[in-house]
Amino acid sequence: MPSTDQNIPKLSKELCSRLLSDLERAKRPVLYATKCSLDNSIYNHRNGYLTPGPKKVATELNVSSVKKMARAIFMLEVLLRNIDTGAVNTKRELYYISKGEIKHNPSLRALDFADQNESDDIIDFICEMLECYREELNCYANDRGGQTYSQQLVVTETLPDGDKAVVDLSKLGTTPFQPKNRPQNLKLSARKKIDFCLIVESEGTANTLVANGFTKRHASILLGAQGVPSNAVRGWCKLIQDQLSVPLYFFGDLDAYTMQNIFRTLKAGSAASLIRNSDYSAPDVRFLGVLPEDIKKYDLNDYPVKENDAQEVRALKKAHDALKNDPFFQDKKNKGLAQILRWLLENKRRCEQQAFFTVDPRDPTMPEKIIVDKIKRGNFV
Amino acid sequence: MAKQPGSNKITTSSTAEYFSKNLQQVGFSSQTKAILTTLKEAVDNALDACEEHGILPEISILVEKVGQGSLKNSDQIRIRVEDNGPGIDPEDVPKVFGEYLASSKFGRGRCSRGQQGIGISAATTWAQLTSAIGARVTTKTKSMRKALSCLVEVDIKHNRGVLKDRAMFDWDRAHGTAVEFVVDGRVQLNGEAGLLNYLSGTTLVNPHLTLTYKLPDFEPHRVDRVSTSIPEIPEATEPHPHTMKLGEFIAHSHLFGRVKVNAWLKKGFSRVNEGTLKDLSQGGFPASLLEKSVDSLGDTQFKNLFVALQNLKLMAPSTKSVISIGEEGFAKSIKRLGAIDFFAVVSRKPTICDFKPVQIEVAVARLEDRSVEAESAAQVLRFANRVPLQFDKSSCAIVHAIESVNWRSYGIVQPKNALPQGPYIVAVSVVSPFIKFKNASKETIDASDELVEEIRRALIQAGQKLSKHIRREVKANELEEKIRHIEQFCPILVDGLCRITEASAARRKKAEDGLVKILGRDAHVTKTELDEAHAVLEAQKSSILADEIIAEEVRD
Repeated sequence: MPSTDQNIPKLSKELCSRLLSDLERAKRPVLYATKCSLDNSIYNHRNGYLTPGPKKVATELNVSSVKKMARAIFMLEVLLRNIDTGAVNTKRELYYISKGEIKHNPSLRALDFADQNESDDIIDFICEMLECYREELNCYANDRGGQTYSQQLVVTETLPDGDKAVVDLSKLGTTPFQPKNRPQNLKLSARKKIDFCLIVESEGTANTLVANGFTKRHASILLGAQGVPSNAVRGWCKLIQDQLSVPLYFFGDLDAYTMQNIFRTLKAGSAASLIRNSDYSAPDVRFLGVLPEDIKKYDLNDYPVKENDAQEVRALKKAHDALKNDPFFQDKKNKGLAQILRWLLENKRRCEQQAFFTVDPRDPTMPEKIIVDKIKRGNFV
Repeated sequence: MAKQPGSNKITTSSTAEYFSKNLQQVGFSSQTKAILTTLKEAVDNALDACEEHGILPEISILVEKVGQGSLKNSDQIRIRVEDNGPGIDPEDVPKVFGEYLASSKFGRGRCSRGQQGIGISAATTWAQLTSAIGARVTTKTKSMRKALSCLVEVDIKHNRGVLKDRAMFDWDRAHGTAVEFVVDGRVQLNGEAGLLNYLSGTTLVNPHLTLTYKLPDFEPHRVDRVSTSIPEIPEATEPHPHTMKLGEFIAHSHLFGRVKVNAWLKKGFSRVNEGTLKDLSQGGFPASLLEKSVDSLGDTQFKNLFVALQNLKLMAPSTKSVISIGEEGFAKSIKRLGAIDFFAVVSRKPTICDFKPVQIEVAVARLEDRSVEAESAAQVLRFANRVPLQFDKSSCAIVHAIESVNWRSYGIVQPKNALPQGPYIVAVSVVSPFIKFKNASKETIDASDELVEEIRRALIQAGQKLSKHIRREVKANELEEKIRHIEQFCPILVDGLCRITEASAARRKKAEDGLVKILGRDAHVTKTELDEAHAVLEAQKSSILADEIIAEEVRD
C-alpha cells in the first residue's frame, strides 16, 4: 500500500491500533512488508521500472522481536512528532534524538541504541511496515550527486511554508544546481527548447565538460551522477523526464558495475528499493556509452579486468547472475543492454569514460564532440 | 672427538664432558628453566620408581631461596624432592645421579617418563657447575637397616659418579629417596613455564599421586590422591622392524650373540614369526642366510635383510605397551586444578601412529574463575608420557591438533586456525613408548600427520561431550534473556501503542496482559528445550556412571 505524506499519521495509527487489538485478544500480531529482493521483482517495459511481486516478509511479535517492535513504536512516535511539527532530521540526528529521549526517561533505558546502525535499522523497518520512503517520514539523507548545469532550465521550488523559490540555472555562472532528496516539490520549465539531458557518471568529467563550454554550445541539461545514483539524482532524472520530455542519455564507464549498479538503478530502479522505484527511476534514459564498438571505432584505451580486484570480480559474477535472473536484463526490450553485459563477461575488459580524452589529447573538446556526434547519429542503446 | 687447541691432535671427550658443555640441549638453557628442569627430573625419577614397584607415590617438594647465586642476577635455590619409592641400592647411587646414559629404562619400549638416563645427571652437573656442590642424596631400600646419606658428584672427565661424605643413619621410614640440589637460577612460579603450572599438570595426569610442596612466597600445600589404583606397567615389547633404521637393526643383532638369524628375528622383534620368514624366502631372500649365525652376517647381508623386511607387509606393533591414565582417574584428577563448571574427558583406545603404539587422552574443562580475559587463549596442558611439556608450544603436535578443531561448533569462541578462547583448560596426554620429540630436552612432540589426526579425533569427541553442557547453559541463558525481555519491553511497547492510538487505561491493561500471555508461551517453549537439554546431559552422566559401575565390577 504505497503511502503519501498526508496519510502517514493515519497509516501509523491504523497499524498501532491493529497491533493493540491483537494484543488485547492475546493474539500474536504479524506485520507484513514487501519483500525487496530480485526474486520478488517484476519488470514490465511498459512501466519501465522494477515493481514488487506478491512476496511479503512477515514479522511476528515474539520474545525475540519484542525489543525491535518496542524500539520501532518508540521511533515512530518521534517521527510522527516531526511530521506534525514539520521538523526534519537526518538518520544520525534521529539517533541522537533517541538517545536524548532515553536519557530523560529512565524507564526507556532498555531501548537504548548502542550505535547508529541499530537506529538506522529501526527507521528502515518502519519504512517497510508503512511501505513509505524515509523522506516521507521527514528523515532526509545528505544531498549527494546530481550537480546540474544548464543555460535553459528554470526550477521552481515550493517551500514548506508555501513560498515559491525560482532558480534560473543560466544565472548561476559556474555554480551548479544541487537537486534535493525530495524532487516532488520542484517544478521545471525551459526558457528555450532543450535538446537533450546528459547524465555523466563521473561528476568530475561533468564539471570538465561544462568548464569547456558544453552547456554554452548545446541547449542541454548536464548533470553528474557521482557513482551509484542517490535518491536525489534518481528523482531528479525522473522529474526531468516527466516534466520536460527531453531525451536523456547516460555516459559512463563500460564495465559490469556501471551497467548494473549505476545505469540499471537510474533507468529502472533497484531490487532494494522496489516500493519507491515508481518515483525514483527514469525509464527513458539511454546508454550512450562507452559502448563496446566505441573501443575499436575511436581506438580507446581499454584494459583487462583485474582478477584480484574483489569489486570487479564480484560485479562480473553478478552480471552472470543478472543475465539469468534479473527481469530487467531478461526483457526483450533491453536486449542491447544484456548484450553489453554478455560482451563484458566474454571479453573481461573494461573501458573508462575518460578514455575519450585519448582520441585527441590536445583538443579538450574532443569528448564533447564524440558525445554530440553519437547522439546525432543515434549511436546509443 | 675434538682437536686440542694449538695442536692437531684429535682427542676423545666423555659423554659427561659433552653434556656439561651443552646443558642447554637438555633443559638448562636459562636460569628459570634450570630450576624447572631440575625439579622435573627429580619428580620424574621418583614417580617412575614408585610405579615400577607398585607403590602409591607420596612426594614432597621444597623449593627455597638460600642466598645469592654466583651467576649474574641469579639466586641460590635449594630444591629438595623426597619420595616414598623403593629406594636405591647404595652401589647404584653414583650411577643414577652421577653418570650419563646410565639408565634402567633405555630402549626398553616402555612408557616411562625417563628414557635415556641424562636428566638427573645433568641436574647434578648444573649444581656442580653453579654451586660447586653436587647432589645430596638420602636413600633407603626395604632391605637396608639404616639409610645412606651422601653427596654425589659427576666426574666429568670419566663420566662417572663419585660419592662423598658417606654416612649411614636411622631414617624414620621404611624406604624412600630424598635428593637435594643447591643450584643457581631464578624461580618462576606463574605462567606457562612456571613451577605452579608444572605441579598442577603433574597432579592432573597422576591421579594416584599425593603431592606436598612448599614454594617461595607460598604456604605449604598438599594435594591428595584421587585414585588408589597404580597404573599397570605393561611388559616391554620388542622393537618392530618397521620402526628401526639400519644402524639400529645391526646394533640390535649384537645383543643376541651367536644365534641363528631366524631365531634372532623371531625372538628379537615383535610381529616377526614363521610366516614372516616364509614370506622373506618367497620374496627372494636366500633361505640359507636365515640359517646362518647372526654374528657372521656382513654389512651387505644385514642391509639386504633389513630392506627385505621393510618391503614385507607386517602386522602393526602391539598397543599393549602403553599406559593409560583412564577416563575415571582423569575425570577425578581434573577437579584438582581448581573450581570448574563442567568438563569432558576422553580416553581413546590405544592405536598405531607412524607405526608406533600410542594412546591419546584428553580432558577439556571450563573454569569457574572468570578473572581470565574472554579473549585470552584457553590454557593448554601438554603431556608426553605423563610429563608436562612447558616450552616451544607452537610447533607441538598437540597444539596443531587443538588449532585444527572447529571449537566454534561446540559453542566455544575460536579465532580462525587458532587456539580456542575463554576460561577453558585443554589437557592432552600422549603416551607411547616411542614418542618422537623434537629435541633432547623433550619439550615438544613432533607433529606428524597421523599423530595430529589421532589427537584431533580425541579433541573432537571431548568437544562434543562438552558442547552438551554449553548448550544447556545457552538454553538457560536464553530463557533468562526471554524472561527479561518480557519484563522490560512489554510495558514500553504497550505504552507506545497506547500513546499513538490514544487508547484508554483499560485497553492498555488488557493489551499488556495479552502480550505477557503471548510471550509467556514463547518462554515456555524455551523452558521445554532447556529441560530436554538437561535430560540429554543427565543421560550422558548416567551412562558414564553405568560404565564406571561395570568397570568396578570387572575389577572386583
